[in-house]
Amino acid sequence: MMTLIRWAACGLAAAGFLATETRLQGAGATFPAPLYARWVAEYGKLNPSIAIDYQAIGSGGGIKSITDKTVDFAGSDAPLNDKQIQALGQGNVIHVPSCAGGVVPAYNLPGLGQDLNFTGEVLAEIYMGKITRWNDAKIAAVNAGSSLPDTVITTAWRTDGSGTNFVWTNYLSTQNEAFKESIGMGTSVKWPVGQGGKGNAGITAIVQQTKGAIGYTEQNYASENKLTYGKVKNLEGEFIKASPESISLAGVGAVGQLQGDVLKANLWNQPGKGTYPIASFTYLIAYRDLNNLKSREQAQALVDYFWWATHEGQQYANKLEYAPLAPDVQHKVGDALGHFTYKGEALKPKGS
Amino acid sequence: MTDAADETPARGAGSRPGDGRRRRFLSPDAAFGWMSRLSACVVLLMLAALLFVLGEAAIPAIRDYGARFLVSSDWRPNELEIPKRDARGKLVFDGGEVVTEKIPPSFGALPVVYGTLISSALALLFAVPLSLGAAIFLVRIAPPRVRGLVSFLVEFLATIPSIAYGVWGLFVLAPLLQDHVEPALQSLLQHLPGFGWLFMDTHGRPLALTGRDMFCGGLILAIMILPIITAISRDVLHAVPRAQIEGALALGATWWESIKVMLAYSRSGLFGAVILGLARAAGETMAVTMVIGNNNQIQPSPFAPAQTMSSLLANEFSEAETVAHRSALVEVALILLLLSLAFNIVARMLFVGSSVQPSRAA
Repeated sequence: MMTLIRWAACGLAAAGFLATETRLQGAGATFPAPLYARWVAEYGKLNPSIAIDYQAIGSGGGIKSITDKTVDFAGSDAPLNDKQIQALGQGNVIHVPSCAGGVVPAYNLPGLGQDLNFTGEVLAEIYMGKITRWNDAKIAAVNAGSSLPDTVITTAWRTDGSGTNFVWTNYLSTQNEAFKESIGMGTSVKWPVGQGGKGNAGITAIVQQTKGAIGYTEQNYASENKLTYGKVKNLEGEFIKASPESISLAGVGAVGQLQGDVLKANLWNQPGKGTYPIASFTYLIAYRDLNNLKSREQAQALVDYFWWATHEGQQYANKLEYAPLAPDVQHKVGDALGHFTYKGEALKPKGS
Repeated sequence: MTDAADETPARGAGSRPGDGRRRRFLSPDAAFGWMSRLSACVVLLMLAALLFVLGEAAIPAIRDYGARFLVSSDWRPNELEIPKRDARGKLVFDGGEVVTEKIPPSFGALPVVYGTLISSALALLFAVPLSLGAAIFLVRIAPPRVRGLVSFLVEFLATIPSIAYGVWGLFVLAPLLQDHVEPALQSLLQHLPGFGWLFMDTHGRPLALTGRDMFCGGLILAIMILPIITAISRDVLHAVPRAQIEGALALGATWWESIKVMLAYSRSGLFGAVILGLARAAGETMAVTMVIGNNNQIQPSPFAPAQTMSSLLANEFSEAETVAHRSALVEVALILLLLSLAFNIVARMLFVGSSVQPSRAA
């Protein structure tokens, strides 16, 4: 028995010794996790000596982990605020968008022939409990031709603090002053009516099971789960259905907001024909000087991976129904990624 | 019998002089004795550490909100930015711009304390009659073979993980309530005087009957605490001396009256079983989170979504970003821990009282 254990121990030690690969550890946002998993798999095929692990523990958890330096990079759906950047070290953060997503109003009203139209105003009043039935005059006003039922509306929301909440509440706050003053913006807020589900799965279960329910999820999640979702009126007055293309367009409008090494932009309500109005970037975050990593090789691997993900990796975004970065946005991201250092020495991304 | 009694004391054998063993620095018996003591201490230390860590992490919330935490029903983790208004309600301007003011986050635990107490009470309401019925059946009616089988099944139910009950509740029980039970109750009761409030929220708006509400939370909890109450009640009833029952029968009691004697004899033990079920219900997390609707509100209707202390923690803790939010959640955990501790102490006192001094209970 003892011999067996000794042999097993030897085997483990040998396996550890042989694996001289470079490891990168990331954690954070759940929304881009399927895309990040794909990236890791594809990048691993191209670079077998590099092992990347991304744990989808939530944006808040990711930010906490990078602040505590327990991970090498973090993902977040909400951009870092000034206080969070200070905690990481002012001027020592590289913060770039990796792809974009849109939040859609998904509903359960069987037998409706066509997609419903929503305005921000109507959505805000539904979530404030002012509009309580589907045949309300304000909903009917933007849905001529749909026979709306006299069903009570059940609003569904995310109970966990999430980037989806952040985008949804920020958008609705721009659409309705009373919403902004009573519910406000944030990753978790207090909703006056309806019921909460944990995560995308929780909110999806509520919408799927309840006639008359409305909820909000990321567009790719809604389409994967075959949820019916409506069109939303954009700044140009068009009713637009969310798609990777209409969400990508929101990034084009926001290029002007992207400055420096901490690239962040609000993508809701961007101008331009065909733009979906409830969109957001999701971000990759790392220290600008990567001295928290073990070696220069490891630091170089991180920089190369960030470059690959935001450039070659973008082709996988569309396949998984994420919105790829628009070329102008990619350009700014490329500039920021050129500023990484390791103990003061500049690191040039491979491929730049 | 006497041999066994001699062997039981842990340190008796080792300290006996001249037993032929070599004396060591620490005899095996003594070492074992100390290890046992250490293990017992670890349990106490864990509880102390738990209280200390929770208490310490909750300090910011305790300091900021004090007793208000327990009576406020406002749970808003985000900061609000609103236009400043003067005493007469007019907007304040500064150089043509509206002055805004920030309202800090606010945390009040009343809705979740309410949610925990009401959902647990509903669970007891549903579970206690069933459990007692089952326990009486097992002790007095069931033939031995059936008794073995049913006892096994009851104990098996207790081992099913919480999440399994939750998934079943979400995908089977809640849709059943939504599509059949609650609409039936509504059409039956809605127009009867005195029942209208069941289908309205506090603003007089119609409630959407979704099946994910306090009622469903209570039902799923009832199913989950049924095994523990049944198993303990069965043991308590089993411990009633035969003489008590036979005595009652000899005095001319009917079969039902003899069961009443049995229940009266073991009432404090049964009450202990119920309290243990209550403690389990109050702390139950995943299953409840999946079916209760997760809205931090106080609504009189059981068909409105609600939230319990444990479901609030499950929902918000992992993504709580600010210190204020986290420490408020920790304070909720602390309240839950103290509540469970209180329930368990009460149950223990009743339970010990019943088994050590049965004559007092009778």
